[in-house]
Amino acid sequence: MIRISGLHKHFGKNHVLRGIDVEIAKGEVFVIVGPSGSGKSTLLRCINFLEEHDAGEIAIDGEPMGWRLAPGGKRVRDKESNVSRLRSQVAMVFQQFNLFPHKTVLENVVEGPIVVKREPPGEAAERAAALLDRVGLSDKVDAYPSTLSGGQQQRAAIARALAMQPKAILFDEPTSALDPELVGEVLAVMKGLAHKGLTMVIVTHEMQFARDVGDRVMMMDAGQVVELAPAKSFFAAPRNPRTVDFLRRLQLRESSDAA
Amino acid sequence: MGQSYVWHFNVVWEYRQVFVRGAGITAQLTAGSLLIGLVLGLLLGLMRSSRSGAMRVPAAVYVEAFRATPVLVQLVWLYYALPILTGFQMGPILSVSVGLGLHTAAYFAEIFRAGIASIDRGQWDAAKSIGMGYGQMMRRIILPQAVRRMIPPFINEIATLMKLTTLGSVLAVYELLHEAQNLINNTYRPLEIYTTLAVAFFVIIYPIIWLSQRLERYLKARS
Ligand SMILES: Nc1ncnc2c1ncn2[C@@H]1O[C@H](COP(=O)(O)OP(=O)(O)OP(=O)(O)O)[C@@H](O)[C@H]1O
Ligand SMILES: [Mg+2]
Repeated sequence: MIRISGLHKHFGKNHVLRGIDVEIAKGEVFVIVGPSGSGKSTLLRCINFLEEHDAGEIAIDGEPMGWRLAPGGKRVRDKESNVSRLRSQVAMVFQQFNLFPHKTVLENVVEGPIVVKREPPGEAAERAAALLDRVGLSDKVDAYPSTLSGGQQQRAAIARALAMQPKAILFDEPTSALDPELVGEVLAVMKGLAHKGLTMVIVTHEMQFARDVGDRVMMMDAGQVVELAPAKSFFAAPRNPRTVDFLRRLQLRESSDAA
Repeated sequence: MGQSYVWHFNVVWEYRQVFVRGAGITAQLTAGSLLIGLVLGLLLGLMRSSRSGAMRVPAAVYVEAFRATPVLVQLVWLYYALPILTGFQMGPILSVSVGLGLHTAAYFAEIFRAGIASIDRGQWDAAKSIGMGYGQMMRRIILPQAVRRMIPPFINEIATLMKLTTLGSVLAVYELLHEAQNLINNTYRPLEIYTTLAVAFFVIIYPIIWLSQRLERYLKARS
């Protein structure tokens, strides 16, 4: 469903993604882990063309994202309207939530359906109310984001993403900005989505969640894939020494946090 | 002469019609140049916020050129030099409105640019990720947030613009200053008339500045 091949990305001289090849299947919960600066966020942002990749291809259900091949074989920027259309099919949930602060929770959720997908406002509002109910925010419909807790804001952001009826949702460390006691409520909502068969690509440091909910786990380091395995075997029997090292360090941090 | 001078403000009262007429022209100049300045300033501000150099550079050249030359020279050039070059002569009121409009556009452009730049990158990301195009994103997400932060500098620029309209007197536009000078030629009462003029401008402009400062503090406290 999301096919990534030969993907490279530079920021100036910094070679951040160094040849990524992976295909994410429909309905899969695909977890990405790796140390800070390994390129996890950049990869997610490339999938939604928030960053423009330098080489390689990203295809959503076979449609290339951002770049097209011109008749001469040259890479050219795709039309803005095509980029927007593809983006609307792949929603994104951000670490910092990024709700629109000048709009209420309901307005945040109906914005995309009404403005981008041109749904009738009445229908969009009905669907939005149902989604907000599903993420446990039916009493916050008319609240402004600044009055919500972090966990509530992130759940509203997930409802906003769902409202686009996307083919997949990309999550970039959705619980990293939350107070520890609010992490659970967001993970619970995500777990519910996974069980409903939504295609999810999740960057996270929540290893317990990755193990329980993930289908496959991919470990990145220095812009490359160092391990990609079914969740069970990824954690039970990691093969790459860097994965082993990474998991051990996370465990150490968790046990020292718990102490 | 200070202590022996006898003020005769009744002259001003007698000719109040002239002041009212002048104030009308001043308002007209302000409104005309404000309209031009806002529209052109928004366009230039959007161009300066663009990622493409072909958009950014011309806008930057415009802004710097208009900020680095005196307004008076710009007005005189528009009124005297442009017709010689192009054969196209605008009337004095239109000249001043257009001249001040072009000038103030450079400052409005900076206000728009700074306002747009102050919006968190996450807002752009979120708008793009739900598939909004550039126009939708600007109109519905970025500008509504940016405009709130731009209101105080906006109001300041309007006050500045109103003061600049007095330059119209140089092109014989019958705005407040020019009317006042004519009146002095008839009445020989420069002290009363200039004083009244200064007070009139203060009474109009100070509340505007006061409002902008209040708003600025209010908006700061809320964010
Ligand atoms: N907009 C940018 N401009 C320049 N360099 C960037 C930009 N975004 C990311 N980088 C660099 O790219 C590299 C990868 O960053 P990225 O954010 O993708 O890492 P990450 O794996 O998500 O890390 P973290 O776990 O800390 O979020 C880093 O060296 C970072 O400094
Ligand atoms: Mg990151």
